Amino acid sequence: MNSSSMRYLSAQGLHNLARNRLMTLAGIGVLTACLVITGVATLFAANVNSLVAYLGSQNETVVYLDPAADDTTTQNAYTAIMAVPGVKSATYVSKQDVLDEYKSYMEEYADLWDEFQNDNPFKANYSVVVDDLDNMQTIQAQLETIPGVVKVSAPVEMTSIFVKVQHVVTTAGYVLVAVLAVVSIVVISNTIRLSVYARRKEINIMKYVGATNAFIRWPFFVEGVGVGLIAAVLATGIVLGAYYGLTNAAGTLTGFWQTLLGDSVVPLSKVWYWIAGGFLLGGGVIGGLGSVMSVRRHLDV
Amino acid sequence: MITFDHVSKTYPSGNHALEDLSLTIDKGEFVFVLGKSGAGKSTFLKMILREEIPTEGTVTVAGHDVAKLRKSEIPYFRRQMGVVFQDFRLIPTLTAYDNVAFAMRVTNVPEKKIKERVPYVLELVGLGDKCGSYPEELSGGEQQRVALARALVHTPQLIIADEPTGNIDPELSFEMMELLTAINSVGITIVVVTHEHQLVHRFRQRVITIDHGHLLSDTPAGEDFKEAVLK
Repeated sequence: MNSSSMRYLSAQGLHNLARNRLMTLAGIGVLTACLVITGVATLFAANVNSLVAYLGSQNETVVYLDPAADDTTTQNAYTAIMAVPGVKSATYVSKQDVLDEYKSYMEEYADLWDEFQNDNPFKANYSVVVDDLDNMQTIQAQLETIPGVVKVSAPVEMTSIFVKVQHVVTTAGYVLVAVLAVVSIVVISNTIRLSVYARRKEINIMKYVGATNAFIRWPFFVEGVGVGLIAAVLATGIVLGAYYGLTNAAGTLTGFWQTLLGDSVVPLSKVWYWIAGGFLLGGGVIGGLGSVMSVRRHLDV
Repeated sequence: MITFDHVSKTYPSGNHALEDLSLTIDKGEFVFVLGKSGAGKSTFLKMILREEIPTEGTVTVAGHDVAKLRKSEIPYFRRQMGVVFQDFRLIPTLTAYDNVAFAMRVTNVPEKKIKERVPYVLELVGLGDKCGSYPEELSGGEQQRVALARALVHTPQLIIADEPTGNIDPELSFEMMELLTAINSVGITIVVVTHEHQLVHRFRQRVITIDHGHLLSDTPAGEDFKEAVLK
């Protein structure tokens, strides 16, 4: 396709956008709505993932060591713990550290705790951070088999709930995105179909004068991609604008809510390019696919 | 130029449009195709344009067996011929110039060549002064001449006219036929499907009649066409 033909056909596509004003607006409106819902679902899923990861990191697994374990056993236990897949870090906490921690919790009973200075009943342990919450139960079982380990205390039930919530949200997000993508393609396809119907005579003439299918498709492709990109820009503005407001509001939270949400909210700076890029790519691809699907039927002349 | 060799066409509905039709149209010939409604004339034209392929037999146009053309080859095959329709098929939102230029623009012709060629062909069909007119500002005869200019713009070897005078006044019909005769005189093959016997008698070109999908008669140019064959 030479440049003058490309310019002519692209101009025809843009001209169609203006000519079929109402349908173009309807197409842009519906596609924008679909993209906004997709964006909200994606950000929601990203934040649930972030929250689950945050809560997981706050619930440490404690690996208690045998009080009779010598230094070598303790050191070997560390190596074995770190070798378990899914373990991110392990920090040694001595018997004295545990006693000091309890003392700091209840300073008014410091004298009482002093009784334990010579007969410390606590066990030395490793405080383990797990970054594979899906396999918490397996990790716990593996940790229990390590020589020198007497008990493993892991927040298996709590983690299991988080992980289930995470899976439900992620799956629902995927389903929603897939359904909305199909809906969007159908909407764009119908918008372009009306444009194709209005220009069926031109398509027919094009076929008889020897235009190739690529030439015939191009103006409709430009029209579809145009609708998709306009909707993408609008949806990006709406979603990122609203998210900016939400993240700002989260920053003003205090107390429990600040601890729970404030620290786990995915910052705008980490998601804006994914949302904008995803919308532009998604809008363009959906617009292009929808238009190609509508023209295909008219090409068999 | 065109050869139908024992061609039959049966549509999926079971309609036998053509049955064992054999004929040859040589390069540079002017041929009228006559037949009643439903005789098979449209299918005959669709085969030449490679809109349809035969169920049996072979159709060869400009050296191409139409059934063997790949889909990607069809547009280039069609650029060797020009088509004129009864209803003109002009784009109402484009001027006469742009309607003709449209055929070149959608076939990848550079704008410089379009600017040279379009005024020339419009002049050729007598519409040099109507370049800027829209179809609705033109008479039926003028619109058909724009359609003819569009058919001529690719310098085709063959022009197919499907009832080209069906929507224009009788006197303009003669003008259109004279124009086609002039085009034929430079060696372009012309196939005109018509039902206007007056034109056929007046121009004394070769006349092929089709009836119920069969070749009913084939009257050579210069001989009197006997209407009795159609009755």
